[in-house]
Amino acid sequence: MTDRRDPLLKVEGLSLSYQTRQGELQAIRDVSFELARGSALGLVGESGCGKTSVANCLMRLLPDSARLSAGRVLLDGQDILLLTEEEMRLLRWRRISMVFQAAMNVLDPVYRVGQQIVEAIETHGVESTEPAARERVARLFRLVGLDPKLTEHYPHEFSGGMRQRAVIAMALSCDPDLMIADEPTTALDVIVQDRILRELKDIQQQLAMSLIYISHDIAVVAEVTDVVGVMYAGRLVEMGDTADVFRAPAHPYTAALMSSFPSISGERRPLISLPGEPPNLSDPPQGCPFHPRCAYATDVCRVEYPPEVRAGSHRAACWHPLDATLVPQG
Amino acid sequence: MVLTLFLIITLTFFLVEAQPGDYASFYVLNPDLPPEVKDQIRAAFGLDRPVWQQYLIHLKNTVTGNLGVSFGNYPRPVIDVLAERVPRTLVLFLTATAVSFYIGFFLGKAIAWRRGGLFEYATTISGAVLFTAFTPAFALMMIWVFAFKLGWFPVGKFLDPLVWRGADVSANYVFGNMLLSAGAFIVFALLVMLLLKRFGRAVPSVVALPIVLGGAAVIVAAWAISGIGGLALDIVKHMVLPVATLTLISFAGTMLLTRNSMLETIREDYVMAARAKGLPDKQVRDRHAARNAMLPVVTSLVYSLIFAIDGSVIIESVFSWPGTGLTLLQAVRSEDLPLVMGAILFIGVLSLLAHVVVDVLYVYLDPRIRYQ
Amino acid sequence: MTTPEPFGPTPEIAVDAGSRRLRFVLARLRLVWRSFRSGGGTFLESQMGRLSLFIIIVYALMAVAHPILMASVWDPATYDPVTGYSFDQVEQPAPPSWKHPLGTDPLGRDVLSQLLYSTRSEFVLGITAALVTVTIATFVGAVAAYYGRVVDAFFMRLADLMIALPAISLLIVLSALFPLNLFYLALIIGVLSGFGGTAIILKSQALSIKVKPFIEAARVAGGGHFHIIFVHIIPHLLPLALLYMMFTVTSAIFAEAVLSFLGLLDLRMSWGIMIHTANTGGYLLGGTRYWWLIVPAGASITLLCSAFYLAGRALDEVVNPRLRQRND
Ligand SMILES: Nc1ncnc2c1ncn2[C@@H]1O[C@H](COP(=O)(O)OP(=O)(O)O)[C@@H](O)[C@H]1O
Ligand code: SF4
Ligand SMILES: [Mg+2]
Repeated sequence: MTDRRDPLLKVEGLSLSYQTRQGELQAIRDVSFELARGSALGLVGESGCGKTSVANCLMRLLPDSARLSAGRVLLDGQDILLLTEEEMRLLRWRRISMVFQAAMNVLDPVYRVGQQIVEAIETHGVESTEPAARERVARLFRLVGLDPKLTEHYPHEFSGGMRQRAVIAMALSCDPDLMIADEPTTALDVIVQDRILRELKDIQQQLAMSLIYISHDIAVVAEVTDVVGVMYAGRLVEMGDTADVFRAPAHPYTAALMSSFPSISGERRPLISLPGEPPNLSDPPQGCPFHPRCAYATDVCRVEYPPEVRAGSHRAACWHPLDATLVPQG
Repeated sequence: MVLTLFLIITLTFFLVEAQPGDYASFYVLNPDLPPEVKDQIRAAFGLDRPVWQQYLIHLKNTVTGNLGVSFGNYPRPVIDVLAERVPRTLVLFLTATAVSFYIGFFLGKAIAWRRGGLFEYATTISGAVLFTAFTPAFALMMIWVFAFKLGWFPVGKFLDPLVWRGADVSANYVFGNMLLSAGAFIVFALLVMLLLKRFGRAVPSVVALPIVLGGAAVIVAAWAISGIGGLALDIVKHMVLPVATLTLISFAGTMLLTRNSMLETIREDYVMAARAKGLPDKQVRDRHAARNAMLPVVTSLVYSLIFAIDGSVIIESVFSWPGTGLTLLQAVRSEDLPLVMGAILFIGVLSLLAHVVVDVLYVYLDPRIRYQ
Repeated sequence: MTTPEPFGPTPEIAVDAGSRRLRFVLARLRLVWRSFRSGGGTFLESQMGRLSLFIIIVYALMAVAHPILMASVWDPATYDPVTGYSFDQVEQPAPPSWKHPLGTDPLGRDVLSQLLYSTRSEFVLGITAALVTVTIATFVGAVAAYYGRVVDAFFMRLADLMIALPAISLLIVLSALFPLNLFYLALIIGVLSGFGGTAIILKSQALSIKVKPFIEAARVAGGGHFHIIFVHIIPHLLPLALLYMMFTVTSAIFAEAVLSFLGLLDLRMSWGIMIHTANTGGYLLGGTRYWWLIVPAGASITLLCSAFYLAGRALDEVVNPRLRQRND
């Protein structure tokens, strides 16, 4: 059997591209990370840097235009990219579930909300009878703070916050080992956002479930996660324990992101503005993709992709890391 | 929508009124009528009064079902002639619409789900051709192929006089009973399905088919021993070709619409979510993508139904099927005005019913409307 | 906008204001035309668009060819589509020959000549019906959207009624009451479609134009209701109107053919009448034996109808504002 100390999920050298009219678009390049059982990983970065694409790879829910060019996704040591479509189907929701980014329309408008959750439970045989499945849905509703009576209602009768809670209940319905939450609260107003976030964190700890939390909001990620990865232009540019990364960011992009959301740790640091936009992934710049916007860029940055620098589990890809304790390996 | 009907009644009345010989003379000048009947009609229709009074009387008569007497079928009242023919149209038209909707929807969702490929190409092209084919010519071609060349079905008409010679029951009696059995069967099948749904997954759905088929078998057996089964079979034989033709010309509309609608719902988040939940491919397609894609298709079913009503006029005339459409046409040709007005009224009622049915269906299918 | 002088503007001013307005309208039309031209590329890019255009052009050429042929090589006594008779044939209908490329009909008339002659009527019919539709529908759509409320409600109820009418059945009844000729037919179909579905679609489009800033600007500048409707709203409806013209042409040709086939129209000659003649003579059920009596006319109806239909669909891809139909 698998050792409890082995990571639940191990992603190695994942690369993904989309065929578009403008040619090939490299949405993910050489992304690697690990996720321990019961811990929460954050993925941050501006919109368009490939966070959703990573999540979709883990679910293997990719459009026909997508091509996985390299990499492995090991779930308990088994490469899910090699599974047949049918094996993958049985694994979805049972092992990995997902709260989608555009959660407003995730619930099918023509069915009762409870029925849509029962559907998932029955597909995976989590409960053997329908009454048991219904009972389970009621429990889940209570868990996410919804009145169990609401299971008999239709999605259009729900407010945005209620829908999001229902979607979270749905994602929890088959006791997954891993739940991916892709910007689960972006569409909601701040107060609801905050409350749902805290509940999500509670539930995750209560159920000892692993969580991948995706957001462009670095403050939110700091609050919820144990480990954080920062993505830029399809690459994972910095990764480490959340506390380490936010105490002493090594990559200028991380620092810039943090300064645009001031005072997470209360510490004062020089405000680095983040002008410009992420590069066009069909035609990324040579060298470090961040160099056109980077205040520390030098000639070498414009020519060659930076090597990885490390200090323990904290790593970054930069020629001139801000935290000098990170050094090249080997 | 009742307005539509009102409009048709009013329009026909005033168009007839605007004729050189007025509404009155059409009744009174008919040479077949004995003088005392003419007087009766005069009184009944108020033909000696001013136009607006005539119009009101006409309205009242129409609403109470007094549509006058047909010239061509004298002395049968128009309502009588129509009572015989309307069910025949209804059967033709409802069967064809139901079948074409089912086929169109089924093919439409299939080609949207598996895009590209020969199948999509072939069905789209043949659908478009059938959709735009010149209906009468296509109907004649069907007759030529299946009735003349292959001899599978009769050329046209409602029944074969040779089969019916010596029969001691009327065609209407047999046909009426056929309608009753069909109705009974549909109710039975619906009940079975409802009950099964009630018990959920406790009863496997494989059971449903044998039960329903068993019901059908009982009905067929009843006909077989009734002694008039042969006559019923004759009517059914005459029905196949017109129904098939009407189905073929109208399924393409549903198919193309379903396909387009489906291509939109496929991109919806709830379809992606259904797949993420690990539902089997077919369930994602049928329960989520197609179920939602059905809504706009049902909305536009009104148009297909009206298309089919018009289509059935053409089909009836080519196949000599004695329904409302053929009645209308013959009445027009023989200038049997009361019958013309009666027939168009019933065609109006049909399209009105189409609207009502579609509205009810939509409310049933879309909870967002249901709970408003 | 200039306010008129108490006793009316002097002629020069009138000309000036008139020509300014004219120039303004022309500039607007040019704008619309330019968007068309860029759309034209898209239209021609699609296979549907090219194919439909090709078919329409071929038929247009055929329509033009008939009077030329009649004036030059075809002797009216033999080739007139209605009164001609081919004496050289022993048996009528005669199969295709050099003299009669598509044979003759049961009454000894040249089928090709009938086909070409009818083509012109089909175009006249289709285009008249389409123009009537578009005139009514753009006006109704613009007015309903601009004034809203009661006006809107009235026209939309009317449109619902029109859609609910079974057109062919209604036309059959009308043909019983007075002789339907090409012009009346075009008028009726144009009215049905103009007040019906087309009006609904153009209204939705007009609604989206009504809220654009330049309408408000025109109103602030003192533009009258009619000025705004005609100069600012209607030009923007034209691309979509053109699209729905195509569908009207299809339904007009189809309706004509059906009614002629049933022998209910008061026309000299048409594709529908050609099939009607063959059918009443019982030649249709001869199957392939008398193919030239049915195939040319039948195929022409189908081809031209689908060409206009496909042209509409291809245009749809160019101008479609992704309007949803009613009820949703
Ligand atoms: N289906 C797709 N086809 C083509 N390009 C896509 C598709 N999905 C995403 N992309 C592109 O891939 C890049 C990454 O997108 P995404 O993973 O959604 O980023 P994020 O979630 O971080 O905003 C973007 O440039 C986006 O335009
Ligand atoms: S490698 Fe150079 S350009 Fe890239 S982030 Fe580091 S310093 Fe900036
Ligand atoms: Mg995203």
